[in-house]
Amino acid sequence: MTPNFDAREEKAPRMLVTCGGVEFHNPVLTASGTFGYGQEFEGLLSLSSLGGLVTKGISPEPRFGNPPPRICETAAGMLNSIGLENVGVEAFAREKLPFLRSCGTRVLVNFFGTTFDEYVDCGARLAALDGVDGLEMNVSCPNIKAGGIEFGRDPSVLGDLVKACRGVIRKPLWVKLTPNTSDIVALARACADNGADAVSIINTITGMAIDARTRRPKIATVFGGLSGPAIKPVALRMVYQVYRARIPISICGIGGIQDGTDAIEFLLAGASCVQVGTQSFVDPASAERIIREIEEYCRVQGVTDVREVIGGLAIG
Amino acid sequence: MHYFSARVIENRSLGGGYFVLRLGGCESLAGSRPGQFVMLRGDWGRDPLLPRPLSLLSVAHEGRADLLVKVTGKGTALMERSPPGSRVSVLGPLGNSFPASSAEATDLLVAGGVGLPPLFMQAESAARFGLAGGSEMLYGGRTSRDLVLLSEIRAQGIALHLATEDGSLGRRGRVTDELEARLDHWRTAAPTRRLRILACGPREMLWAVGRIAQRHEIECYLSLEEQMACGIGVCLGCAVAARTRPYRYVCKDGPVFPAAEVMDHAAAATSSQSEGGAR
Repeated sequence: MTPNFDAREEKAPRMLVTCGGVEFHNPVLTASGTFGYGQEFEGLLSLSSLGGLVTKGISPEPRFGNPPPRICETAAGMLNSIGLENVGVEAFAREKLPFLRSCGTRVLVNFFGTTFDEYVDCGARLAALDGVDGLEMNVSCPNIKAGGIEFGRDPSVLGDLVKACRGVIRKPLWVKLTPNTSDIVALARACADNGADAVSIINTITGMAIDARTRRPKIATVFGGLSGPAIKPVALRMVYQVYRARIPISICGIGGIQDGTDAIEFLLAGASCVQVGTQSFVDPASAERIIREIEEYCRVQGVTDVREVIGGLAIG
Repeated sequence: MHYFSARVIENRSLGGGYFVLRLGGCESLAGSRPGQFVMLRGDWGRDPLLPRPLSLLSVAHEGRADLLVKVTGKGTALMERSPPGSRVSVLGPLGNSFPASSAEATDLLVAGGVGLPPLFMQAESAARFGLAGGSEMLYGGRTSRDLVLLSEIRAQGIALHLATEDGSLGRRGRVTDELEARLDHWRTAAPTRRLRILACGPREMLWAVGRIAQRHEIECYLSLEEQMACGIGVCLGCAVAARTRPYRYVCKDGPVFPAAEVMDHAAAATSSQSEGGAR
């Protein structure tokens, strides 16, 4: 047996983080739309090892989604236009939540509506459910009453929406911001000013792909959301811009995270935790691996508490 | 469903861009049924990103699994160049399967091009139960180069009828022409015989097969392919318009569907074809 001269090196780093009013036993969550309702991944990784999971976006009523083709692969990424298909609040509470309650990890429920009233109604109903640790608003949904422009693009509309939801939601309230904006800081500030607890940065970037042979768009709705490693530099930039602005709100970093180093980069840029999205399609067990890789980074760097890394970007 | 690392033990080129990848270490795929598929990804970095859905061609004892692949894009081209020893990640077996062969029915297995694997596996499984003699395979492609593994198919003891569009092998024409001919044969030879059609191939072929089955009032199952990222009902990318619900999913409701469930509905929707996973 080799004597252990450096006990510190052997000791597991402290991985607990708090983000937007929720405590997670490590900073790795799985992102909405890439992890179903959790149960789909049972047996592929240990759900209880995750810091948390964010469900598929839930609307007041079930939605059937967009016509196919809905996805296509692009360079180091993919485009999707699923159309926010989901089972609706009622079926979620009845059929999906019992499993989530038992899976031993934090559960955030992503939700949306097509009007202010739908957001408020959906958020209030979900927040009332036992087993929901917090809510994440998807504001990249077209506002039907405002000609289909996304709720999350205009800081004043976004602020009003957050305020309306905050009024009825007594659980941690996160807002997943769209990167399809010229001023991510203004959007984050509108969330903070109206009582949101955290911002998830970023949702997918609008893009398109064309099949030159058929001269047709590769997805039926022409435009879709780009995700995967291709978007990581954009996501990092936006996380850092919001962090640097010293807005009093927690940041959850999302965008192209494939390994522990990617996750650490988001923490360095100022995120308190991260979400793994498209990578769960590439490697369904990746979130669990990423947690181990963050621990390994901490060991190698002599970090005893992962929170030391948050906002630790050295500039100049 | 299992997620594991396997390795290429043989990579056999069949010409025309077709090759058979033989994987070792696939003990978890034992008991897979004809029609089921795997999501496969090599250790090739970030491009292409997504794993490819590939139908199982054959699953044998000692953890061996065969996949028939055609080069249609980047992912499949990388697979073609994977030497023995290469590691691949495998998620499977996924999806449903064709109904099992039965002594009560004659199955017409209709394969188009690279749609062969589930029907080959069906023939293999029928042979195992001594039922291959009761079925026949109709196999079509553009040219003779698109008809592969012919001796392996014949070795199952199943009657094989070929068709090529350029007439280089078998009947000149489409596999659906051959199907009409075989149905005529059976109507005369055994008018009371219960027939079933099981098909896999390009969309246009499948709809044509479905229409023939409808016209003859024959039970018919189609194995579809669609773009998918996950294979487990999460990405919701592989939606197909259906009769009983707005959409069904190739990965978890399929890939095998009763023809009436998806025909006319999905046929009306846009169909696009590129490659494997991103097929």
